[in-house]
Amino acid sequence: MRHVIFFGNALHGDDGFGPVVYHRLGRLDLPADVRLFEAGTCGLNALALFEGCDEAIVVDALAPGNHPGRVIQPAARTLALDAALAGHDAGVGHLLAALAALGVPPPHIIAAEAERVQPFSHVLSAAMTRAVDAAVALLCRRLGIDHA
Amino acid sequence: MARVELNIDLNRVEGDLEIGLSVEDGVVVEARTVGTMFRGFEQIMVGRAPRDAMVVAPRICGICSTSHLFAAVLALEHAWGVAVPPNASRIRNLCLLTEAIQSDIRQTFLFFAPDFCQDRYHGHPQFAELMGAFEPFRGSVYKETLDVTRKLVRIIAEFGGQWPHSSYMLPGGVTCPPDVRRLMACGAALDAAQTWYETRVIGASTDEWLAVDSADALFAWLEQPAHAASAWGVLSRFIRSLDLHRRGAGTPHMLSFGTGCDPDRWGPPFDAHLLASGFFDGDSGQVVGLDQAQINEHVRHSWYRPYPGGRHPSQGETVPDYRPGGDRYTWAKAPRYADKVVQTGPLAELLIAGDALIRDLFAHEGSNAWLRQFARLRRIGVELALAQRMLQELAEHLGEPHFLAPAADAERDGQGYGMVMAARGALGHWISIRDGVIEKYQIITPTSWNASPRDADGQPGHWEQSLVGLKVADQDDTAELGHVIRSHDPCLVCAVHFLDSGRRQVFSPSL
Repeated sequence: MRHVIFFGNALHGDDGFGPVVYHRLGRLDLPADVRLFEAGTCGLNALALFEGCDEAIVVDALAPGNHPGRVIQPAARTLALDAALAGHDAGVGHLLAALAALGVPPPHIIAAEAERVQPFSHVLSAAMTRAVDAAVALLCRRLGIDHA
Repeated sequence: MARVELNIDLNRVEGDLEIGLSVEDGVVVEARTVGTMFRGFEQIMVGRAPRDAMVVAPRICGICSTSHLFAAVLALEHAWGVAVPPNASRIRNLCLLTEAIQSDIRQTFLFFAPDFCQDRYHGHPQFAELMGAFEPFRGSVYKETLDVTRKLVRIIAEFGGQWPHSSYMLPGGVTCPPDVRRLMACGAALDAAQTWYETRVIGASTDEWLAVDSADALFAWLEQPAHAASAWGVLSRFIRSLDLHRRGAGTPHMLSFGTGCDPDRWGPPFDAHLLASGFFDGDSGQVVGLDQAQINEHVRHSWYRPYPGGRHPSQGETVPDYRPGGDRYTWAKAPRYADKVVQTGPLAELLIAGDALIRDLFAHEGSNAWLRQFARLRRIGVELALAQRMLQELAEHLGEPHFLAPAADAERDGQGYGMVMAARGALGHWISIRDGVIEKYQIITPTSWNASPRDADGQPGHWEQSLVGLKVADQDDTAELGHVIRSHDPCLVCAVHFLDSGRRQVFSPSL
């Protein structure tokens, strides 16, 4: 079984990257061994989603930097505890550290750099919208999904 | 005016809070809690079908969603006069207790204890022992806590399908029956947590632990090698060495809405709990019966449309009116009981329920940061015993109903309230239904009681009172304030700010 776990707040502008990718992927025909989870702003509460699978993939937004919309696949150990966007609180950074402490194999991470995180906006920036296309294509290749 | 923002690391749970402090000669002389986030869940409810509350309310909090679901369904059942079968109350109680156990364990060993794993305590003789147990992501107890708590909430998922944010309670009962497989799965998860609590946290059986009934007996108990070496033994010794048992008293008045619902006695007047509800009057030292009519909410110092004095939540409103710069300073309201400032949480819950050890410790040392944390740790044992009782009773009544369908005409207009003890204390929901939809919905959370601002009479809230008098040796390192704040188990991200312009600083919220 493979779990793909999407993080982010759909009402905070580019922080909605994960949920948007989740909905795009959810419309496709998935292999029987792939399950998608929208984890929202969960931190440690998402620990259970990493159980019962051979591989876990985390999809999330990265805090704004110099390359808005850039999609990267960082190793979990390279992310700081506070790498998650403000608002995730005991967030994905802590979650990844907790997984490592528990001896869970590190998940594969697909992340896109936000351009702006705007409360009470469900609209992604143009850069992040392009990042959604790139992430969907990346996930389809990795998961063996037919993506016309 | 210069403002120094201190990096007290309290941002490991949800929410947003700042604390503004005025310091005179190194002593806190005034504190103000500033809730910086408007939630607005009450408005989301208005105009919706009443049953929507069971979907919306659990989303209020990712830490205590079961308690919000419980309060919401009790409010609807109260408004509609709907009865529930004993098994429904047992399942609700089991899930509520489970949520509280995992919250209490996480608060103690993932949030409170790691605050002591910092360089300022490097010279303390217990430092190495402390790091070995509680250092984030490395300490043995820290790592075990992650594992134990992630497995424990499977109990709620057995009945709710998921945790958090599940919606398995509904007027008349719950959605799933207590079949043998579920009970076995729940029993295994609960047993594993209890075994860990007994072997690693207290170093004894839960029964032995709960039999300790006086302060003298407790301190003698903690001297015994097995108990001294337990996680709580290590932590307790350390935090008492910092004098936390002499700090952070806050208000002497306490409030409990009662633990769970007594399955066999639940019904009008809705006051039969597993552990009794009540109000502890700190002036008289007496516990009196709870009267929800005594609750009111003030907005004199909050960013809401003003009204004079306090209003009972059934007559309340939550209309934002953001006006920075004046003497209003928070998005939190100021709930009061009989016009008194109260504290709520495990200390209030066990004291009011008559726990002999807690009462004796309170009699000896009064309200303090150590006792609040101790009560939380003690409560885990109480909760485990009650949860085991619920499982046992479910096994004995396996074939009985888990749901009684309300009468067809039950869903009428009216008012109701649901009150429970959540992990952090007294939680109440008040609903008013008119023309078939929610007309009003008011929520008072535990942190609203504890972190309230000043009221119409100028009385500071409990946290605000608990910080006054604390010494601040170094404004760049205020861990001592952080420990007191953490003992309240804030359901909020918290940053502490000094208002710094010389000998006497003047408060001005940073918004």
